[in-house]
Amino acid sequence: MLKLTNVQTFYGQIQALKGIDLEVPEGQIITLLGANGAGKSTTMKTIAGLLKPKKGSIEFLGENVTGLRPDQLLRKGIALVPEGRAILSSMTVLENLEMGAYHRKDKGVKEDIENVMQRFPILFERQTQLAGTLSGGQQQMLAIARALLSKPKLLLLDEPSMGLAPLIVSEIFAIIKEIKETGTTVLLVEQNAKQALKIADFGYVMETGKIIIEGKSADLLTDSRIVEAYLGRKSTKVQEEVQDEGISASKQV
Amino acid sequence: MLADFINPYHLQIASFILINILLAISVYVPLSSGQLSLGSAGFMGVGAYTSALLTIHFDLPIFVGVLVGAAVAGCLGIIIGIPSLRLSGVYLAIATLGLGEVIRVIFVNWESLTKGSIGLTGIPQMGRELLKLARNVGIEPAMFGLRNNQFVYLMVFVILLILVIGTIWFVFRQQNSRIGRSFSSIQMDEKAAESMGINITYFKVLSFSQGAFLAGLAGALFAHVMGYISPSDFSYHRAVEILIFTVFGGSEVIIGSIFGAIFLTLIPEVLRFVSEYRYIIYGIMLVILMAVRPQGILDIHLLSKFKRLKRSKGGVR
Repeated sequence: MLKLTNVQTFYGQIQALKGIDLEVPEGQIITLLGANGAGKSTTMKTIAGLLKPKKGSIEFLGENVTGLRPDQLLRKGIALVPEGRAILSSMTVLENLEMGAYHRKDKGVKEDIENVMQRFPILFERQTQLAGTLSGGQQQMLAIARALLSKPKLLLLDEPSMGLAPLIVSEIFAIIKEIKETGTTVLLVEQNAKQALKIADFGYVMETGKIIIEGKSADLLTDSRIVEAYLGRKSTKVQEEVQDEGISASKQV
Repeated sequence: MLADFINPYHLQIASFILINILLAISVYVPLSSGQLSLGSAGFMGVGAYTSALLTIHFDLPIFVGVLVGAAVAGCLGIIIGIPSLRLSGVYLAIATLGLGEVIRVIFVNWESLTKGSIGLTGIPQMGRELLKLARNVGIEPAMFGLRNNQFVYLMVFVILLILVIGTIWFVFRQQNSRIGRSFSSIQMDEKAAESMGINITYFKVLSFSQGAFLAGLAGALFAHVMGYISPSDFSYHRAVEILIFTVFGGSEVIIGSIFGAIFLTLIPEVLRFVSEYRYIIYGIMLVILMAVRPQGILDIHLLSKFKRLKRSKGGVR
């Protein structure tokens, strides 16, 4: 569905992506892992058109979409939920949702808003409230719901679990899984490697602007390099402990 | 009769208030998409000089001059707006302030066209032209029991009032449309707006050039109300004055700009009895306001309170 070939993106003189090759097949959850500064968000922004790659090509549904503007890409079906829940804080929840359907001209918007509210009951309850007054988790749900209203074929989620309590994080991940089941392909950037790999079909690991490991998520979960890099343990036998630690780490965040 | 109530002095102040409202809105519109532009004085100058020169040298009717003046300012807004997109906040403010000064210096130095710092005189006055027009169709001020100058000022006031109401109506309608929603989402969070598929380049340039158009319109009207303009009318003092209208009244709502322009144009007139101290009082008021209420006098919360008050009163009845 989405194919990146040798994508290189620069911030001025600094090369943030040093040739990314990545593929997202339809109907799956693909996760992009990596430490801070590895270039995960840059990859997402490049796909969504917020940054223009200097070299390489991006193909979406068999069409070359390299260098298109974000609004053009959204019309083609790529929606991004940016890092840090970019919601419109002085608009109401309902207005935020309406903004999500901004570029749509069909008549199904109202119905879709109702459907989304059914999926996120908290948004229904708070629809007249200003979005800035929602809690972190609710804001994240609003950001995801808003992106869904553009009826994307591919949903890009940039660290949806950032700064959220563990309980909320699991809720968000459950929602991501549901989104996949309704037929939307998901590309997920995460620091929370463990949980991301659990719901993903395939994973890529980035380091300093390159993809260093790729594989089925089941394999990556037991890959010693991943455990070493992200969970701070060398052996694979202490996985149970590792899992607990993953949760406490996300608490600290 | 009617003539007893019409004081040309009051009408002239009212006309200035209306022009200032247009100027305040010209700051408000770019601000509603998150762009602080201090170029209004410059764009105003462009509108004023364009219209004045066209009507003086080519004998064009005033309304054509005003329209062309505003359009030229709007086009300049597009040209300036595109490179300025890279700037935001204070940097954009400084760049646009610089632009205004550049325009003013051009007016001062291009003496063959603009007569330099002496300024342009003999600009056709709107009031006189209207009087001529009225006489041509057989209407005499005396028919309403008015003196000629009363009629002139009244006509100018009415024309300006219509224009201002039209502008406010337009901006108000636009705010509640798709365009207005894009403006406010860009103001709140540019990244979020972009990821929602809003073409931020287009909408930022649109709001910037709308501001330039309105400033040009106000400038052209100013030229034809005054009959005389000079580069010092469009100096950076004017830019700051215009900004203060919007900031003082409340920059979040359009009513704020209108209120600010009315109030701050009236205050120096009302305080005339303390003559030399009036600008000190004016200054102190601004300092206190910014300390106590940085968002300006009117904001959304205050307006919704008014609305609730009205509604509850209606309920009692």
